[in-house]
Amino acid sequence: MAISKEAYKGLEAIVGAEYISADPVVCEGYRAGPGGYECGLGYERVMTKIPGCVIMPRTTEEVQKIVRLCNRYKVPFVPYSTGWYGPRSHCHVADELLIDLKRMNDFEIDENHLYAVVGPGVIYSQLQEEAMRRGMYIVIGGGGSQVSAIANMIGDGWSPLSYRVGLPHRRILGTELVLPDGELVLMGSLATQDDPFWGEGLGPDLRGLLRGFTGLRGCLGIVTKMAIKLLPFQPERLEPTGISPDTTLQLPTSRVKWINFTMPSKDAMRQAMFEMAKAEIGGGVTKVPIFWRAIAKARSKEEYWELWSQENEETISSFHLLRVLLIAFTSEEQMEYEEQVLMDIIKELGGEARRTRPSDESWFKNADSAGMWLMCGGYVSVDYVIETIEHAIPHGENYAKLKRNFTPPLMPDYGDPGWFQSFELGHQGYSEFLVYWDPDENTDGVDHFYLETSKENIRKRFYTSLLGPHQPLYLTGPAYGPNYHKWLLKVKDEFDPKFICHPPVPLAHDEFVERAEWMKPMKDWESPEIKPSP
Amino acid sequence: MLKGKVSLDVTQLDNFEYDMSKCIKCKGCTWVDHIYMPGVTFSTRCPSATRYLFDSYGAYGKMRIGLAMLEGRLDYSDELLKILYACTLCGACDVGCKRNLDLEIELTLEALRIKAVKDGKGPMPQHKKVAQNISTKHNRFGSPHQNRNKWLPDNIKPAAKAEVLYFVGCSASYTSPEIAQATVKILNASGTPFMLMPDEWCCGNVLYSVGMIDEARELARRNIEAVKKTGAKTLLLSCAEGYRMWKVDYPKLLNISTEDLGFKVVHLVEFVDELIKKGALKLTKPVNLRLTYHDSCSLSRLSEPWVPWQGERGEWGMVSPTLERRRGTNGVYQPPRDILKAIPGVELVEMIRMRENAFCCGAGRGTKEAFPDFALWAAKHRLEEVKAVGVEAIVATCPWCKENFAQAVSQNGDKLKVFDISELILAAISG
Repeated sequence: MAISKEAYKGLEAIVGAEYISADPVVCEGYRAGPGGYECGLGYERVMTKIPGCVIMPRTTEEVQKIVRLCNRYKVPFVPYSTGWYGPRSHCHVADELLIDLKRMNDFEIDENHLYAVVGPGVIYSQLQEEAMRRGMYIVIGGGGSQVSAIANMIGDGWSPLSYRVGLPHRRILGTELVLPDGELVLMGSLATQDDPFWGEGLGPDLRGLLRGFTGLRGCLGIVTKMAIKLLPFQPERLEPTGISPDTTLQLPTSRVKWINFTMPSKDAMRQAMFEMAKAEIGGGVTKVPIFWRAIAKARSKEEYWELWSQENEETISSFHLLRVLLIAFTSEEQMEYEEQVLMDIIKELGGEARRTRPSDESWFKNADSAGMWLMCGGYVSVDYVIETIEHAIPHGENYAKLKRNFTPPLMPDYGDPGWFQSFELGHQGYSEFLVYWDPDENTDGVDHFYLETSKENIRKRFYTSLLGPHQPLYLTGPAYGPNYHKWLLKVKDEFDPKFICHPPVPLAHDEFVERAEWMKPMKDWESPEIKPSP
Repeated sequence: MLKGKVSLDVTQLDNFEYDMSKCIKCKGCTWVDHIYMPGVTFSTRCPSATRYLFDSYGAYGKMRIGLAMLEGRLDYSDELLKILYACTLCGACDVGCKRNLDLEIELTLEALRIKAVKDGKGPMPQHKKVAQNISTKHNRFGSPHQNRNKWLPDNIKPAAKAEVLYFVGCSASYTSPEIAQATVKILNASGTPFMLMPDEWCCGNVLYSVGMIDEARELARRNIEAVKKTGAKTLLLSCAEGYRMWKVDYPKLLNISTEDLGFKVVHLVEFVDELIKKGALKLTKPVNLRLTYHDSCSLSRLSEPWVPWQGERGEWGMVSPTLERRRGTNGVYQPPRDILKAIPGVELVEMIRMRENAFCCGAGRGTKEAFPDFALWAAKHRLEEVKAVGVEAIVATCPWCKENFAQAVSQNGDKLKVFDISELILAAISG
């Protein structure tokens, strides 16, 4: 047994013998890799451990008791909902307790006030179906339908549908947070009453601490309950159809419609996003990277590569596909109106509508993030920028240039400049840069590229969202602060004085660079003082 | 083998090293296909992960554990054997994974059990008893071999020679004779001459399922030879487990294609569906029932024909020559539904999880023998779903399902009726 018998007995008394195990076989099943988001890379190999013990609480009270006991016996712990988010959501130190929250799957929905209260065990596709059945919807983030709604809401949580409804921060309503010392914090309207209908409450709004731009990966406590804002949808059912693997949602095209447009240039695509936003039409919009199209067409990995090998620098640089979602929220007339306006915009910009399947293009109920591994077996998004479209486009172009120096081991993509889109009706722009590699080859170059993107952001003044636990804090903190790192560590110290909640996050990437020999030549910043794990 | 020569041979676990090492924890193996996700209830399709909850019991955990076994990083223990065997091998995980990733999950799970047996640690003690029964009495129950054809009604006379050979199977021969009796009466009513095996032995489904590959292969050879000697062109089964064994696992064991067996393997529902559509069988007698249909795993997502494959895995994990993946798409889903819809008076109500998303009854692949409580838990879980759709009866196409559901209904004290589809077909044939 990895943790003391006394501590184990105490934990067992909290949840019952059926819901705790320190068996090495059970713990092996919670290994981060070798497959998965960011897995197979150095960070996963160097920084993750299998848990010393796994526990599955059912209630917030049980979580509080577990955390208090961990503090008493100095047992490091990490919260875990579905385990999707790769190595950064798994154990990092030996003899760590993994708190698997899947049993906390309580669900309530308030149709009148448009919100749902979920536990961390509830995933997006469950929430979406419950919402849609009642004429509402949510945005399933790019993490996919299979991720915990809470984890994604406090981590990433955006998709092409964020064009209309924005980032998840402000859809977090009343929330229950167990701090690293076991204290319960009730946020939003829950602070003053039982109804979690509202996000703001008394005192400082801690939602920023929960996630900032992209979250802290469980190092500041455990969210055990959250009310999530739902949005009014149109009334027609999106009908599931087909047999696996060809399952899809049949869309009621008088109410919901995706349209693809071939645009003459990147600038025309950018302009279309602005014009749509000015006209306040559309439910979603995004640039479509060409490999998404190849993934959608291919029946297998081999077929994907057959399709992809037909591309070249010229086809990539001249490929400008804009995908627009129209939702007739109020009436069929709204669809007619928005489609006409959209067609006018596209015509003026020299675009052409292409044939589009009258079915789900993933984002409603089945954000097919799992398909990202089909091509190579290794995948991570190395950066997200949430700023303006003007900022997002050069960000991707810069990364594309930088990436050439690391290809291979990265997948040859002929200079593809990533994915960009408009958020919040054009008020924000988004760029995401996805990379793929063969995990069965030497991947040191992928680790190098990941870190080099941080340096590129600093050099070129790109406003990355992957600060905090995703890059060396002492590299990014001084550049973005100048004291961002110091403040983050002060906050961490205030909430988790024993450094017991998911150590050594948020200093894990700093530690990785120290421990991985192949990363050391890249280190040209001041070393942090890393607290010893308990 | 991560790169280089690779095949689908389940006797070598390293053939599946790539598959074990590429699991991304999307848990598509456990959740119902998100397109069909019904909400917060009945949202999973893996009995093992749903019952035991620890990730280690889901395919994502088993892939990591399997890799550790391959690399010699884990010792055998009771917990390890439970994780390997408290699993219905129902194929839900395999279909789920191949929705996006095409990893060979089902074959990996089979290979892990075969390794456990090779290493002298598997199968479970209860499975060894079944194996002994099969070895000595040629049936899994240990019942006297001479009683095997006792189910045959006096008024039914199988032909000495016919194109259709009905392979009855252990369950319908000994514990669910009503299925065998209904089947032969249907054949009679349709004017289909049929014969029985001169000396029928167990198909060996449990042996293969628990990893006793040598014993299973020996039975496969013996049984295939026996069928060939009869000259039958069609082997008919009324048991989904047996159907999968003959159609998929025998060829797999012998490294041949299903089409190379030398005869066609069909389930009763395929046969009857064709008869109805040709007009050779008419279902005219009303059966007034509001019922639901349970997709037996071995007839549905596990039933696609087997084609052996060997080749090379290279850059980006691509394989050559072309591998036609078995993704469960072409399972036998529609024929039983069409039959039920053709019966006057039957109101077919689909369950929330159906076809490739169906939740296994819990009985098959050695589960009922070694983990009877788990098997019954799975059946009761499925019956909750039956209750949710408000029907009078549940219909399956496999005696394993029927028996397990019937036991669960009895324990629950419910009034739900449990049928094999053969019984309803027979009831609908006018006298």
